[in-house]
Amino acid sequence: RTMRRTTALLLRHGGGGIPQALADVLVCPLSKKPLRYCEASGSLVSDAVGMSFPIVDGIPCLLPKDGKLLEDHQRESGHETSSRDSSD
Amino acid sequence: MASGSSAAARRLLLLRHRRRHLVPNHHFSSSSADEVLDGGRVKIFDRDLKRRHRDRAAWAMRETDPLVDAVADNLLDRLEDCRKAFPSALCLGGSAGAVRRSLRGRGGIEKLTMMDMSVDMVNKWRELESATDDGPEMNFIVGDEEYLPMKENSQDLIMSCLGLHWTNDLPGAMIQCRLALKPDGLFLAAILGGETLKELRIACTIAQMEREGGISPRMSPLAQVRDAGNLLSRAGFALPGVDVDRYTVKYNSALELVEHLRAMAETNALFQRSHILKRDTALATAAIYQSMFGLEDGTIPATFQVIYMTGWKEHSSQQKPKRRGSATVSFGDIRKQFGSNQD
Repeated sequence: RTMRRTTALLLRHGGGGIPQALADVLVCPLSKKPLRYCEASGSLVSDAVGMSFPIVDGIPCLLPKDGKLLEDHQRESGHETSSRDSSD
Repeated sequence: MASGSSAAARRLLLLRHRRRHLVPNHHFSSSSADEVLDGGRVKIFDRDLKRRHRDRAAWAMRETDPLVDAVADNLLDRLEDCRKAFPSALCLGGSAGAVRRSLRGRGGIEKLTMMDMSVDMVNKWRELESATDDGPEMNFIVGDEEYLPMKENSQDLIMSCLGLHWTNDLPGAMIQCRLALKPDGLFLAAILGGETLKELRIACTIAQMEREGGISPRMSPLAQVRDAGNLLSRAGFALPGVDVDRYTVKYNSALELVEHLRAMAETNALFQRSHILKRDTALATAAIYQSMFGLEDGTIPATFQVIYMTGWKEHSSQQKPKRRGSATVSFGDIRKQFGSNQD
């Protein structure tokens, strides 16, 4: 269900997102759970691990090192707090 | 596989040309010893360093590379042996550019996703892709083979050309590939084997013993042929197949060999590498290489051993042996049956 939501969002977003074919197959590299497209930050969000992955020039960067930990209020499941990183 | 020696080799070239200016030291060192252990797992390769190697290779690589193209072509040849078509395919790092070049419509690929650790490398592929219109629908992602961001049961084919030998957890990476494959999906990989660059390995060791009285790991450990089959079955692939090919490339000098290694992003990325290479050790290595292995025409040969691995994700349609003793008809009866039909 989450995946379908991602797709719908991506379609609406148009050019800034990632191609439909990719949205269908990409998952979080750490948890293998679905990713959610966040329009505000233009990134892919993994709610399972609370990280966001950037999309640079239409290419999603799904390296764990490139991911940023989300701040508490942006997370759905709030444990493992970190003040070090934030998703702007 | 010798980042230090490459810097030294460059200095060697400059010496020959009798030019006197300082050469920036091409050291890419970010690692510290405490990073080696990550959650109890031993890390052999510095993946961050490898990523920077690949960034460098993105601009250093040649338009075509005979060695890499030969390997990619050989790998893709296997697609022609299958009657199956592979509409969705994923091509992992390493020499994916060469795979794309040699694809030429094989395997019935409709959607091809190319993935690499290096952003520069992916951008380079995309640039090259925009020049050609024909071919499958292309998508690009930046990702790590050790953390494959692919949904389960989503791909018909996963290929990796000369990339997986740099993973710290090769069985883990292969298991992730199997999970991402659809049932009856194909996994195709080419990795460098243990015989690779044996000449350079020997020359390096002798030179270091001679000049420094000890040796340090200049070359990465590589899989042996006998390991490849075990790897495939450990990762749970059905109908595993392994074969080996050996390529000998001739270079004019050790410098040329090192430049080629850099262009392929195959230089040393060991965590426990020595960050210094003394000039006379590098010179000695080049001299020993030349005298031990040099050919009559003045070139030096370098061996590349490539292990090709094929494996399928399990599917009920695949052939399997029946359980021992499970036959219900004797061959004698079959003969009688067919004998009576003929009469």
